[in-house]
Amino acid sequence: MKAMTSLFQRRGRRDAEIAEKCTVQSKIVESVFSASSAPLRQKRFLVVLVSMMIGGAFAADAPKVQTEPVKGTPVAADFEAGKKLYRRWCSQCHGDAGKGDGPAAEFVYPRPRNFTTAIFKVRTTLSGQLPTDHDLFDVISKGLPGTAMPAWEKYLPENDRWQLVHYVKTFDELGLFKEEPAKEQVVVDAPPKITPELIAKGKDLYQKKKCWQCHGQQGRGDGPSAAGMKDEWGFPIRPVNFTKSWRFRGGDRLEDIYRTFTTGFNGTPMPSFVDAIPAAEDRWALAAFVKSLARLQKSGQVLKAGFIGGEIPTDPYAKAWEEAEPFDFPLAGQIIQEPRWFKPMHDVITVRALYNDREIAILLEWDDGTNNKGEGGKPPDQVGLQLPAGAAQDGGKPYFLLGDARHAVDLWRWNPAQGLSRATANGAAKEKPAEAGGVLAQGSYKDGQYRVILRRPLGKVSPGDTAIVPGEFMPIAFQLWDGDNGEEGMKMSLSTWYYLLPQPATPLTAYLWPSGLGFLALGGEVWLLRRMRRKDK
Amino acid sequence: MTRYTLYIAVALWLAILAGLKLLVRPPMPASVLMIYMTLSTLGILVFVAANEERFGNFIAPLRAVFEGRAPRLVQVLVLAGIPLLLAWGAWLRTAPSSDAPFEPRVVHPEPPASFALHGRRIETAGLKNPLRVPDAAQLEKNTAEGKVIYYRNCFFCHGDTLRGDGHFSGAFSPIPANFRDVGTISMLQESFVFWRVSTGGLGLPRSATPWNSAMPVWQTMLTEEEIWKAILYIYAGSGSTPRTWEEEPKK
Repeated sequence: MKAMTSLFQRRGRRDAEIAEKCTVQSKIVESVFSASSAPLRQKRFLVVLVSMMIGGAFAADAPKVQTEPVKGTPVAADFEAGKKLYRRWCSQCHGDAGKGDGPAAEFVYPRPRNFTTAIFKVRTTLSGQLPTDHDLFDVISKGLPGTAMPAWEKYLPENDRWQLVHYVKTFDELGLFKEEPAKEQVVVDAPPKITPELIAKGKDLYQKKKCWQCHGQQGRGDGPSAAGMKDEWGFPIRPVNFTKSWRFRGGDRLEDIYRTFTTGFNGTPMPSFVDAIPAAEDRWALAAFVKSLARLQKSGQVLKAGFIGGEIPTDPYAKAWEEAEPFDFPLAGQIIQEPRWFKPMHDVITVRALYNDREIAILLEWDDGTNNKGEGGKPPDQVGLQLPAGAAQDGGKPYFLLGDARHAVDLWRWNPAQGLSRATANGAAKEKPAEAGGVLAQGSYKDGQYRVILRRPLGKVSPGDTAIVPGEFMPIAFQLWDGDNGEEGMKMSLSTWYYLLPQPATPLTAYLWPSGLGFLALGGEVWLLRRMRRKDK
Repeated sequence: MTRYTLYIAVALWLAILAGLKLLVRPPMPASVLMIYMTLSTLGILVFVAANEERFGNFIAPLRAVFEGRAPRLVQVLVLAGIPLLLAWGAWLRTAPSSDAPFEPRVVHPEPPASFALHGRRIETAGLKNPLRVPDAAQLEKNTAEGKVIYYRNCFFCHGDTLRGDGHFSGAFSPIPANFRDVGTISMLQESFVFWRVSTGGLGLPRSATPWNSAMPVWQTMLTEEEIWKAILYIYAGSGSTPRTWEEEPKK
């Protein structure tokens, strides 16, 4: 069976669907997309059919976007060399036959690309079209941020990367790279200067064009349509969180974001917006707004708790909390003990801490596009904070993953279903529930973000407590679970040990020494000055 | 040239400080930096003082300031600058620090004489990789199987190109080993690597801060043969060769 229309037209209609309506119809297209297990050509056909039934009103006119001829490929193909390189560096994820089914494929998220269908996300070509050779080369060179695909320009010479471009194209089962290779690519002009007006205009478009339906009002990937999305292969996919620009697959420069709006991500629910937002300057404005949502990470070894007089607010949105210094702690999947977890959803937790003369409070903040309370057969979202239980007598620390036989850890956990729970552990399998003691928790979920306050008196209240002393370092570690991703128990994201430091007020002696030394030096100078100048005369 | 002796000395001192601070990665602890800078200061001073004429040149600009021969502005700047610099130096020491406490760590601890593996004792002395066979085809097969084991277990941290920069590496401290670094597996025997892989972070002695290491205790997840195969691959894949027992100096 020969496909009825060109790839380009097919995709154009589907994008018009999603971008213009962004509501029920596109959902239908998506569900047909993901539910169908039909062979690829049939599946493509089905999508066209459904698109036509719903979106018949949309003409298949070429979108009015400026294009230019595709640049030539500088290196001729040497398939033997390409094959050798591919087998050496790529096949473990993408598979010997390019099906995205190598031995490591099931251990990474997102799934490695299946090359046989010739569907690629990051391109400079119009929606539905094949990528140019330069597009493939750029993806190989720069990698895909937020995935296991590294930037190969760090490791492989340019010539090798071109050979991989040629070789990857040989997996195309439908012969599309031969039949309808991309001839034109989108012109990406020099990006405009980002101004507050441009961002405001973009914000307006974000509302009007309903980007929030998937990406959420604050851009945290928590829109009403976000849950349960699938890509063209039926694998789960989530709308990107715009605050985590380090995970943008196509890069996070303004021109990268603009290019993504213009071309769309083939094979995913992210459409091209050339029909919905025809004016290039409008797409630049939207790109500027999306870029303005990005939050830079501030990592460090020490979580500093500031001192405040009076009560520590229980409202995580209170001014005192907004003013407290945030610290970002990177997280990785728990791949140390069985059951290991290779596909964690969370990669960072943001933490602030405050203390007064009686208690210390820690505000844990993380983004989660779905608010799982333990319903629908999925575990609840959860956060955990880990401290050593009791001071180590031998100067060591407990093992960072739930302690060890000789050193116990004190775990404070909160989830939206059960609230606070506390436990002590001497290793993964040796966990005992504990009384909450003096620990209190408040948690909330708003706009795709959890904010949880855990607090405790500074001194010892229950036997498991370790006194927290201003000016003294306390080891601390963090753990996160995303219920929507099926995370519970040992299936979690975790950090290694960091330190919590309630910052003491600066003692007077800290000022005395420097000023004393300064005056002493000044006195010495005066004495020397007099002596030497007298000698002159 | 001679009239610039003081400035050259100061520039040299600052260059050493900048070099140690900016070029040495990972950054050295403040205490180590202090030792290097003290030595550098002493070295420069000894060199300057060793020759009377050089010393004279060295202190000439200072003399000019104290004797009132230097321009007025320079006099004020130097005379005000010295006490302020000292006070600032003292403040850096007395200001409450929030740097994480320095945790010394031995990177390649002495391997034990023997260790437990799947319930039996393994002697490390003379231990060789039984799968590093002379038959080239068989060796290639073993290594290829090791590659698969590596990609299903190790590459998340140690990376595609075995440089210790896999996609989870940024979240762990100490960072995963870079197998292409000449200071790691290429200076070690396979027996050492076998011990480290089999017993993991928790098998480290206290001097190597076992509580921080994310290295799993692989004997709980892999067979002895699988561990040896993975070791074949990390050497082959990173282009390293293990040290062998034969190379050891005779005692």
